[in-house]
Amino acid sequence: MTALPGDVARVALDLPLRANLSALDNIALIPLYQRHFSAAESARQAQAMLDQLGHADIALLRDPDMTPSQRFVTKLARAIILKRPRLVIDRPGAMLYDVPYPEFIRQLAAQDAMAGTWEIFDFSWNQALYQA
Amino acid sequence: MNFLAASIESLGAKVVGWFTVAYGMFAFLAKAGMLLLDRTTWNRATFDVVIKQVYFTAVQILHVFLAYALVISWLIITIILSTARDFGLTEFASEMTIRVLVLELLPFLTALFIALRSGSAINTEVALMQVNNELDALAHCKVPPMQFEFLPRLIGGVISVVTLAGLAGLIALLQGYLSIYGISAAGFEPYTRTIAKIFDFQIMAGLIAKCALFGLAVTLIPVTAGLETPKKLFMVPVSVLRGMMRVFFAIVAIEVVSLALKYI
Repeated sequence: MTALPGDVARVALDLPLRANLSALDNIALIPLYQRHFSAAESARQAQAMLDQLGHADIALLRDPDMTPSQRFVTKLARAIILKRPRLVIDRPGAMLYDVPYPEFIRQLAAQDAMAGTWEIFDFSWNQALYQA
Repeated sequence: MNFLAASIESLGAKVVGWFTVAYGMFAFLAKAGMLLLDRTTWNRATFDVVIKQVYFTAVQILHVFLAYALVISWLIITIILSTARDFGLTEFASEMTIRVLVLELLPFLTALFIALRSGSAINTEVALMQVNNELDALAHCKVPPMQFEFLPRLIGGVISVVTLAGLAGLIALLQGYLSIYGISAAGFEPYTRTIAKIFDFQIMAGLIAKCALFGLAVTLIPVTAGLETPKKLFMVPVSVLRGMMRVFFAIVAIEVVSLALKYI
């Protein structure tokens, strides 16, 4: 995975959230440290991202308090806010074991503000799930 | 012969291990020092995390710490005073109280207090971050862990130990006065003269440097011990155990060197 190019934002089981930070703080870290926005502006951008994904209510939850799908949404929001050219969702079944995940990802991608292409890497034997 | 060779080999491996650990710590410290001098480090985000660290390390425990400092100071002052009276050395009691308590015992106990409370927590948290790949995730997001996680802890530790030891020292000075002279202004002049005699520039600089080193030891060692943890969950307690042992030896070593420099 270290060989992946720097223009890829990954959503993966092996890239967890910071456990002692809320969903909002995990996402806000990116504008705060990469683009040097103020804490308030970073939190606003993070909240806007969660709103766009339809999960505004998870902002204050920490990783251990989230369901797998809430955790996935937070990781996805973190990856989107990185604003990299490619967004890769790596083996979503390992993260989204509480929902029928192809449909769940489809619904997230269908939100009005979502743009770009999300690449999903999954095991070949799960292909049937996407065609259902 | 085999036993001798095995012993030498084992000793050599241990020495190499110690050097590797020491090198790791100094390399980390050098990196942190370089970052500290970098102007871009000092943004609002880093400053906020430093404030948070000082709050968690010093402010949150202030009432417990003050009670602990009061009890310890009262006990030691009482022992020193009664011993001085028994030996007819009452005129040296105030100087002995200040030297034993303010210069040696309280900074040492403050460092132990912070090490047990915050050092162990830092060690566990960094070890868990390492095991759970949280540091890799931060690196993937290009959020610098040194700036976001580690440097604020080092700065917070140093500030906390220096201020808490200073506060405990002030309490001890006040308690010492009250125990020796009672609620009367009569002893103010000789007591302040004794304080001024003891706290010359060299002693003050040494005391602050010692407290700063204590602060560094109780944060730097747990962070580096946590970072050394192999990515296996069952290694976290081992990492904390190793880290806390190193912290203990470092605190004792700093105290011994400080005493040797002062009195030998």
